[in-house]
Amino acid sequence: MERQAEICANIVKIIRDRSETGQLLRADEILVELKSRGIPETQDLDRKTNLETLLEQVLAENPDLRAIYDRNGSAYYHSLESLSETYGRILLWKSEDPLWMIAEVVRKNSQLYPRPVSVDSFQEPPFGLTGEEVVECLDRMAHDKEYQDIARTDTSVGTQFLYSTDHLEPDHAIALAEWFDVGQVDNP
Amino acid sequence: MAKYGGWAGKVLRVDLSERKISTEDTIEKYKDYLGGTGIGYKVIWDELLPGTKPFDPDNKIVFGVGPLAGTGAPCNGRTAITTLWPTCWPRPLVASGHMGGHFAAELKYAGYDAIIIEGKADRPVWLSIMDGKAEIKDARQLWGQGIRRTTVEICQEMGPEPSVAAIGQAGENLVPMSVVINSYSHSAGGVGGVLGSKNLKAIGVRGTGSVRIAGNKEEWEKVIKLHLSLLGANNQHVVPNSPQPWSEHYNPGSRWVASTGRKWGAAAPSIETGPCEPHNLNKIAYRTNNAAFFLGEKAWKYTVRGNGCTACPIRCHTMLKVPGVSTKYGIPEIGQNTCVGLLFGRGFFKTFPDGPKGETAIEACMVGMHLADDLGIWDNYGQVQRDFQMLYYNGTMGRKVPEKEFKAYSWDKYEQGDPTFLFELLPRIANKEGELATALGLGTGYLLERWGIPEQEWLENHDLLYWKLGHPKHHSNEDAGQCGVIINTQYNRDAQCHSHSNFTRNGLPIEVQKRLAADIWGSPDAVDSVAAFAPMNKYKAKMAKWSLLRKELHDSLSLCNWMGPWVASPLRERDYRGEDSIESLLYSLATGDKKSSQELDRVAERIFLLHRALTIRDMGTKDMRTKHDTIPHWVFADPKDKAAFTKGTIRMDKEDIQLAMDMYYEEMGWDKQTGSPTRDAYQRLGLGTVAEELSKRGLLP
Repeated sequence: MERQAEICANIVKIIRDRSETGQLLRADEILVELKSRGIPETQDLDRKTNLETLLEQVLAENPDLRAIYDRNGSAYYHSLESLSETYGRILLWKSEDPLWMIAEVVRKNSQLYPRPVSVDSFQEPPFGLTGEEVVECLDRMAHDKEYQDIARTDTSVGTQFLYSTDHLEPDHAIALAEWFDVGQVDNP
Repeated sequence: MAKYGGWAGKVLRVDLSERKISTEDTIEKYKDYLGGTGIGYKVIWDELLPGTKPFDPDNKIVFGVGPLAGTGAPCNGRTAITTLWPTCWPRPLVASGHMGGHFAAELKYAGYDAIIIEGKADRPVWLSIMDGKAEIKDARQLWGQGIRRTTVEICQEMGPEPSVAAIGQAGENLVPMSVVINSYSHSAGGVGGVLGSKNLKAIGVRGTGSVRIAGNKEEWEKVIKLHLSLLGANNQHVVPNSPQPWSEHYNPGSRWVASTGRKWGAAAPSIETGPCEPHNLNKIAYRTNNAAFFLGEKAWKYTVRGNGCTACPIRCHTMLKVPGVSTKYGIPEIGQNTCVGLLFGRGFFKTFPDGPKGETAIEACMVGMHLADDLGIWDNYGQVQRDFQMLYYNGTMGRKVPEKEFKAYSWDKYEQGDPTFLFELLPRIANKEGELATALGLGTGYLLERWGIPEQEWLENHDLLYWKLGHPKHHSNEDAGQCGVIINTQYNRDAQCHSHSNFTRNGLPIEVQKRLAADIWGSPDAVDSVAAFAPMNKYKAKMAKWSLLRKELHDSLSLCNWMGPWVASPLRERDYRGEDSIESLLYSLATGDKKSSQELDRVAERIFLLHRALTIRDMGTKDMRTKHDTIPHWVFADPKDKAAFTKGTIRMDKEDIQLAMDMYYEEMGWDKQTGSPTRDAYQRLGLGTVAEELSKRGLLP
């Protein structure tokens, strides 16, 4: 039991440390890290079920630790103390598929706040796409039925915004885009 | 030891006509009105007759600060300046302007809670306040000088530490659209001409004393730390403007612009803001960069640092260094300001050769700040710039200004967005040179009257953002639907209330906002998503009342209503809750006069009611609902003719707004038919004598 507690403590520290650098961790990366720290008995953890059980326990005992999942169902671990779920998801979506990232960010923003998202913002951190990548994504999006809820609108000063019609009515999205792009600075 | 902490204990009264200086006991006379606007309204009510004009020697002007000024309470740097308002049209009414900086703290350290200026000096003078000693000094050598030189010369006499509040040529020349400015750029609009009319060029104040905190030291420090932990960025935006590792939420409209990689580029060496995680209280000052927020990404490279007010870690007053303007325009390469002050020059132009956020726009801002903050010209929350554009492009200016004078302006430069045009326009406004400049300097209402333009045209045009009485709206339906509309009906200049907009723009998801709203105002239905407004309900009326009272409370305590209230926070562990009673915690500990949040709000209500009474008395009518609390037509229109309460419009519904006013008056305990406070309402707040006076004049409902 003592050994297990030591391993759990190390897992907690590994996840928290990695989150402080702004990165997510997969289970296999945690295992590599444990081994590199010379934690004894890590061989037992090579069996997938053992590691998953331990990670479940660690998450249950440490409310700041969370798992988020990619589209294949693989878990990525992080600590909310330094890496939010929102930020973690952006990192994950970005590593999977920038087009998927744009769509999911637009859907989340349209649903939550609600608001549309400027196309230019995807060139800023943490999205960090190039202009060409953004254009390519938008072209693909236009022809893929999975993204037909994503719509565009231009503000009066020509800034392009995206929104999801699943969450925002077009007139509301148009008004909000204008509000964020022009209205707020004109009404300080 | 004095019974109360917080207050300095004395109010300075300066009679310029008689060159007489005296003091009064703050606690005895003004404690029930706290300070700031509270003292201002009280003096105007007690001592001015209805019908007094702003530039009459009989008018008084009160520089009031509150019991929290000069303490360690965050954001305590506001000085409220109350007087009869020169740009209030068609008749002057009471109003207040507010300046940040360090004037408020210096005044407290010098031993005073307020300065009441009355009469008129027989020649230009300035007022020197060094600790307990006040002197009226000759200012003939300063008359005609700009604010910067005046400040420097007074500092040469008083030493490097004083805070100098001065007027420029605009104030001297009794231009209604003029300001008083302390520390070179912290301005209070609208009052420069009142000081000019009294031949008072400046007030220099230096204090080496302190403000006593009555309560337990550990408790005080605990509350300060709590308050600091709740702070967001400027305007209490509690989420960053781009995704940050520490934050679940972000909002591109947030003034929390710090992020890894963003640098104050003109600092030497440059300083990276970093992500500014909210628990790191030593990095609060890096969160806000209002130059970058208002002028665009290019402003980062010109940013030296954030500047600001006493005990305020927000530093919303961004200092810029733009080397190019020195050789190109012959102005200092350093400038600093916040919000509309930053935009003063840019706002006159419709276009710039390199776009609205290009280098030329930034240069226009630098030129505008340089001129306006030296000449002492006011922008009336951007109204003078909007008026200027409208009157030029719709041809009115060409018709109303004599041909020779009109042609003397370089309109080709103006249309091309050349900032040198400002050198032609702004000095003329300050010096009342010619018809155009004189008219612009009057303020919108008097300008329209002078040029025979029906106010109706301004009331119908949404682009002009004009509200009433010669002034624009300030966070109305675009921010908070009916609540914003109610707030904008209540004052005699632009409302300057941020209690509601700081909440609705805080950047949190609408469901979080609704959860917080349920705690504060009793229902999630108090707030709506922007441009998706629901019909009126009583919780919106509660939010409006709360917003107005907190504004008056802040203006009377010297807290900054551009930052507060603090009912939302960036803290996930608090479920983004702030602390609704932070003002009463600070007040009670600082003064020793223990008051709950509700009790302190009642004092704020008393102050607000006195403002209402003054307005009623000086308008000579009790029919405030139809004569004063008016709403411009554009509020009830939509460019696409979308119906009110449909998604995508901020259009309000006339019947619904009538219901909103009913609910608001009811919430205030006022008469619904007239919108006037009842005798009971006055008496309930200890203003029985005010009710008596109004009754004698037939002004009670």
